[in-house]
Amino acid sequence: MIFYFFEVLNDHPLMLLLLNVGLAGLGGALPPIIERTRRRGLENSLPEVLEGLSDSIGAGQGLQQAIMKVSESRSDLFGKLLRETLDVSAVTSFDAALADFAMKTRSKQIQRVINLLSTAEENDAPIQEILFRSSLEYEKLNDLVNKRENDLMGQAILIILFISVGLPALIAFIVGLFAPESSGYAVDEVNSAMVHFFGAASGVAVLVSGRMLGRAKDYLWLIPLWMFASMAVYKFGYIMII
Amino acid sequence: MGSGIGLEGAITSISRGGYGCISSDFQKVMVNTRKGKGLVEELRRVQKRAKSDAYKRLLNTMIENIISNTDIVKTLKNQGGREEEKRTEKVEKYIEELSGLPETLLSIGMISPIILAILAITPQMMAGAGDIMPLPDADAVGSIVNGGLFFTVVMMAMIGLKAHTKDPGL
Repeated sequence: MIFYFFEVLNDHPLMLLLLNVGLAGLGGALPPIIERTRRRGLENSLPEVLEGLSDSIGAGQGLQQAIMKVSESRSDLFGKLLRETLDVSAVTSFDAALADFAMKTRSKQIQRVINLLSTAEENDAPIQEILFRSSLEYEKLNDLVNKRENDLMGQAILIILFISVGLPALIAFIVGLFAPESSGYAVDEVNSAMVHFFGAASGVAVLVSGRMLGRAKDYLWLIPLWMFASMAVYKFGYIMII
Repeated sequence: MGSGIGLEGAITSISRGGYGCISSDFQKVMVNTRKGKGLVEELRRVQKRAKSDAYKRLLNTMIENIISNTDIVKTLKNQGGREEEKRTEKVEKYIEELSGLPETLLSIGMISPIILAILAITPQMMAGAGDIMPLPDADAVGSIVNGGLFFTVVMMAMIGLKAHTKDPGL
């Protein structure tokens, strides 16, 4: 079966090329997914951290003490980075440590907050109020980002599965059932056209799904593999039916 | 600005980066200001090129503050609140508009290949009916099928384009 699979692939250089490019592309597709998960985890914790800092400052503590208290109460990545920041601040200035923390988070949202905090501290502004307002604003923003993600993720997966797997399987079934080669139909050209069509349609579907989630660039890496999957489902689906 | 820094300080802070095209615009404003050009003149130049109404309003508020010393913090807070509401509405509308996209793509992606596949094998299926009715040439049918499949992919891409054009930019 496996050898037969490779034999069929051998007759389709485009599919073979897409499989190789697709497998290599996985190396480019995984890092953005991991990075995004890390960044969103930090950003989702941001409102809670800002509220905690605001409460501590309201209780009369300084910014550094407030960060220490919040870092001790958190066991997640945010807490770990804050603890590292405090360690760094012991050997350098607190502002430099905060800037280092902002860099390490690799999140624009957090970098903006740190920039705001540094400016507020330099100008002796009411930090507690700024932190509290920021926590409310970032909570709203994160809720909106999460809403978009949750509501559209199902649809994006549906598009990919419908177009890249369901559709080629269905058409392979129909063509294989009504026009089998064993009955004398010459369907090589039709099959070739269909294989290319499903490859292209799958590429479009993956790109549209990525754009829906605002991650078109990340999804570009996955296009060759899904194109191959779609073409393979049609090709092998047809062979299995006849 | 609420913490007491001036407008120029706030512009400098934003020009350091992290705010997309606003950062790059403000960076150019500060570079030109340091070369001796007026801040109002520079903000007006950016305002002329701006395409977003909200951005134009923000720049107008900043210009008015420099000219007439208006209460910029209060005005910007109101503008921010309004834009936040608009953004929420935009995201909700975007989600709603894309709700039927999988079904639309599947419908077009399914109907077209089924029809074209039947069309492609029609000359073979009706080979014996050549005496009764004229049958299309197999090459011509092949061209129609290929053209039709290409058109279907283009249609799918056009339908999917609304995921890009209507993006709320969140």
